[in-house]
Amino acid sequence: MKNLIVFLMLVLSTSTINAQQIRTSSSATITFFSSTIVEDIEAKSASATSAFDVVSGNLLFRVKNTSFQFPKKLMQEHFNENYMESDTYPLSDFKGKISPLPDFTKDGTYTATATGNLNIHGVTKTYTAPVTFTITGGNITAKTVFRVRISDHGIKVPALVFKNIAEFVEVRVVTTYLSKNN
Amino acid sequence: MKQHTYFLYSLLILPAILFTTVQASAQDDLEKAIPIIKTTHEKVSATFKSTKLINGHTNETIYKNEMDFKVDHRFGDIAGSNGGLRQFFGLDQSTDVRIGFDYGLSDRVTVGLARAKGATAVQQLYELSIKYRLLEQTTDDHIPFAITFFGSNTIAAIHASDDPTSATAYRNLGDRTNYVSQLIIARKMSPGFSFSLTPSYLHRNFTTYRDQNELFALGAGARAKLSKRVALVIDYFLPFRNTADKAYLEKVNNVKFYNPLGVGLEMETGGHIFHLNFTNAAAIEEMQFIPSTTSSWLKGQYRWGFSISRRFSFNHTKKQVETGT
Repeated sequence: MKNLIVFLMLVLSTSTINAQQIRTSSSATITFFSSTIVEDIEAKSASATSAFDVVSGNLLFRVKNTSFQFPKKLMQEHFNENYMESDTYPLSDFKGKISPLPDFTKDGTYTATATGNLNIHGVTKTYTAPVTFTITGGNITAKTVFRVRISDHGIKVPALVFKNIAEFVEVRVVTTYLSKNN
Repeated sequence: MKQHTYFLYSLLILPAILFTTVQASAQDDLEKAIPIIKTTHEKVSATFKSTKLINGHTNETIYKNEMDFKVDHRFGDIAGSNGGLRQFFGLDQSTDVRIGFDYGLSDRVTVGLARAKGATAVQQLYELSIKYRLLEQTTDDHIPFAITFFGSNTIAAIHASDDPTSATAYRNLGDRTNYVSQLIIARKMSPGFSFSLTPSYLHRNFTTYRDQNELFALGAGARAKLSKRVALVIDYFLPFRNTADKAYLEKVNNVKFYNPLGVGLEMETGGHIFHLNFTNAAAIEEMQFIPSTTSSWLKGQYRWGFSISRRFSFNHTKKQVETGT
């Protein structure tokens, strides 16, 4: 009986350690590209936040829509006012899981898949995207590229600017989770 | 002994419960761990969509390296003695036309050059203007409202009149010059509603006999969104005239002064903004519609007007070179 208690205590303490295995970043970069014959649009946010559980593989990303910077400010205004409706939907987020999980203690480059729910403009859709992990000295860098069909998220493009905004937008995410020892 | 076992049993249960809680809340742990997004006095954007409501200016300027090309048009009276079917509800006439170019020196400073026909005797107007954002409203109400300064200098190029009591009996370039200063105080109350108050000061170097060279006025305007791209806009100006001079001018010229009121629809698509409006003011320039509006809504002397604004950006997006990761 005593052994059982010890065992359960151990299990409990392991799960407590799990909680400490969450790596975070507050400077993840998210870039998106819309490319048409008429116009290329690129916007970038370098202040997305993320939390990643390196043991369970659970992953969370969050970005403030108004943090996306456009080379043309009027475009940025239109992005927030007319398309993302950032007053109503200020945040976009992704909740998912990474599998298979690489060995984060060994330096190297690994590929895995992220599957989860992406919420943009109040509409959630399931996505699967390839992720590349680069591990150097305990620091984890994760990169991914995937495509979002803007109409999937209830974002309407008026006929007049239909040729300026692509149907599919390419999204790139780069984030570095620094080692806890740093 | 039995009690002892019971105690041990409960000891077993407790960590088991805790363990399942931890497992179930894996996403909650991430929620707790994720850094909070810092927002430091984020500026409110698009209090108004255009730099003008109908007659008056909004607090908005254009962004750096942008050009705003704007055409304003006012037709003749829709109804009343000068309107109706004979004048095709005012469409046969144009009381004023203005063509303007604005340029964004920075996100806060816009300079403009415009040419307007002019609706009173003072015609062939050239306007130089500057708009400067003094304060910008923030989303956290650290700054609860926006203040923008608007200043313009309008020169009338019309041939000088020989009648010394005329508004155009100019002797030199100085006489032809008019100044307008406004402070536009605006607040975006909600994503769909904004309003503004505009204390204004006008100085006309030369006016008709007994008209005021200096005039204070207060403007008010609002914008209410009807849909994502269509909004209802309204603005009004209240000039503080000297009563004796006003009565004299009304008697001599057989006119009455009215306060300009405009209502309209604003439609926005990409870089274009269209305004369809109705206003009793015949003129477009501040130095004319504030002191010299002599047409009345109640007499059918309101007119259809429109403005078209097209914004061009000279900040070029760089062509995408990299592909994939």
